[in-house]
Amino acid sequence: MVVLRAGLCPGLTEEMIQVLRANGVRTVVDFVSSDLEDVSQKCSLSYKALVAVRRVLLAQFSAFPANGADLYEELKSSTAILPTGSPSLDQLLDSGLYTGEVTELMGAPGSGKTQVCLSIAASVSLSLKQHVLFLDSTGGFTASRLYQMLQAQAEDEEEQASSALQRIQVARVFDVYEMLSALQEVRDHLSQQAVSCTGPLKTVLIDSVSAVIHPLLGGRQSEGLAIMMQLARELKMLAKEFSLAVVVTNQVTRDSSTGLLKPALGRSWSFVPSTRVLLESKGAPWEEATTRRSASLAKSPRQPTGMQVELDIG
Amino acid sequence: MQRAVGSLPLGPALRARLAAAGFQTAQELLDTGPCGLSREIGISKEEALETLQVVRQECSGDAARTAGGAGTTRKCTALELLEEEQAQGFIITFCSALDNILGGGVQLTKITEVCGAPGVGKTQLCMQLAVDVQIPECFGGVCGEAVFIDTEGSFMVDRVADIAAACVQHCQLIAEAHQEEDHQKALETFSLESILSHIYYFRCRDYIELLAQVYLLPDFLSEHSKVRLVVIDGIAFPFRHDFEDLSLRTRLLNGLAQQLIIIANDHKSAVVLTNQMTTRIGQSQSTLVPALGESWGHAATVRLIFHWDKSQRLATLYKSPSQKESTIPYTITPHGFRDVQPPAVTQNTESTEMNPRKRPRREEEK
Repeated sequence: MVVLRAGLCPGLTEEMIQVLRANGVRTVVDFVSSDLEDVSQKCSLSYKALVAVRRVLLAQFSAFPANGADLYEELKSSTAILPTGSPSLDQLLDSGLYTGEVTELMGAPGSGKTQVCLSIAASVSLSLKQHVLFLDSTGGFTASRLYQMLQAQAEDEEEQASSALQRIQVARVFDVYEMLSALQEVRDHLSQQAVSCTGPLKTVLIDSVSAVIHPLLGGRQSEGLAIMMQLARELKMLAKEFSLAVVVTNQVTRDSSTGLLKPALGRSWSFVPSTRVLLESKGAPWEEATTRRSASLAKSPRQPTGMQVELDIG
Repeated sequence: MQRAVGSLPLGPALRARLAAAGFQTAQELLDTGPCGLSREIGISKEEALETLQVVRQECSGDAARTAGGAGTTRKCTALELLEEEQAQGFIITFCSALDNILGGGVQLTKITEVCGAPGVGKTQLCMQLAVDVQIPECFGGVCGEAVFIDTEGSFMVDRVADIAAACVQHCQLIAEAHQEEDHQKALETFSLESILSHIYYFRCRDYIELLAQVYLLPDFLSEHSKVRLVVIDGIAFPFRHDFEDLSLRTRLLNGLAQQLIIIANDHKSAVVLTNQMTTRIGQSQSTLVPALGESWGHAATVRLIFHWDKSQRLATLYKSPSQKESTIPYTITPHGFRDVQPPAVTQNTESTEMNPRKRPRREEEK
């Protein structure tokens, strides 16, 4: 629904636009779908000029079909599989996190979502020496725990751990508009290929996306839903265009009718991530303290759902 | 910039009109100018001007950040955060076992939630923390002030006076043992009157007052910049009775949680909340779970659950980003929140109990 403007293509002058607008053709869609002979008669503009403008507009605004073989070649060359730092989780995700996709971790409070995110950040930064962006919206990011994990993985040198820490950028965003600004900033950085502080960014972790959206959902206005879909579009665009692996965490709420736990943010959000992993802890919390968690696959494009593995987040 | 119109903080009606008129990116809006904008969408010139100002602010914020300037996003590397965390202090609770499982005490810039059945000691812990936050730095405290928001009316001033007196006595003993200059100087300002005068007390009777108080808190905190602890005693109480619309309640609670985490982060203070317990009736049995529902469980960064085991009080760390789950016993004495003394009494210099306790505080409690 782009409005016709003077600079859109050569041959589209200001007078033409005024005349077209006077006859009810305001946007590109109107122009392209109208009968050009009719328009040229009513507006007394040359038919050839209109046809030339239409061809340019179509080339500019329509999507290009691509065949499957080309897509496959492109995927093979641009997709990377990132290790998550835990071999059983890698097995669940079919050998790791795929770039170009959005992966979601959901779980009850205390089930280990932040711990898994920290371990992903640690493993990508340490073993692959790549940059990681961590958007924290709950205040759960503890640098000392991350340092502990890095030291456990790096084993020998301490400067490896501290240089790994430098590759992890943390942004604290507590509001959905701040989160959108932060994602826009990442997009600008990557499209300008500014090497300044980002470096080769491959992973974006968002903990958690439901904390910023949940206060907006519900009620009679559907504005919360619109913002949620805007955020979803940003995440998918980032993942696809720049080949990033995007990991988000989601909360769970209790279904009022059945009493079972279900992921927050509703059905509309469930179409956004391509892979969903549910984290659960075993046993009631204050009976036995344990660091074992179970991860089950709720949605995946590659593996059968219902696969379950054990994790240790200690 | 190429910022989509849908992601700008504008009102919903305005956004709908912009979408209908065909505007897609922020750059198109800026190119049109206020007169063109007011003509195309049909709003007054003042509204168009305001809208463009908002858009310009957002986009210039983005541009400044891309150029490497200091934007409003709180962004830094993990290494800088680690150094910041290591320099930060903790608020001790005077119960060394609890401090150990929390990793040193109640952490600043995080929300800690304490849940428990009635009478188990949540308000006692809150009052102890309101006193402990004021301990001077040379004794290992953070030397800050406290804000106490009370919704249940369980704040007893004479009890706080007892706790404060015991705390001052403890510090005096340490000063006598170590005999250092700054200890003596700090003790001059650390007295019962100064402790009580630095606890700012607010009483909120229903949820609207509580929400208003929390949303007005940033202004209060910018005037009193030494505040390092915000306690909300009884966050469940105003939200549990008389609330018909449960989805409204969830939304309000989530908004409240985000506001609290912003306060905790901006003013470098710890936020402590107390919650009640409720029964969940399952298939064959019923369990005690924290109140306010599942989604509230995500609000707090650290969650402590207090419960009874016959006659012993236990505290369990249920959720923490950096510590393991564990359970420890604690007790409440006339001096406040303390460790459980082992049966074979070993006098170490840390403990200030002049008379080793002979029996738990059960009788005076209820």
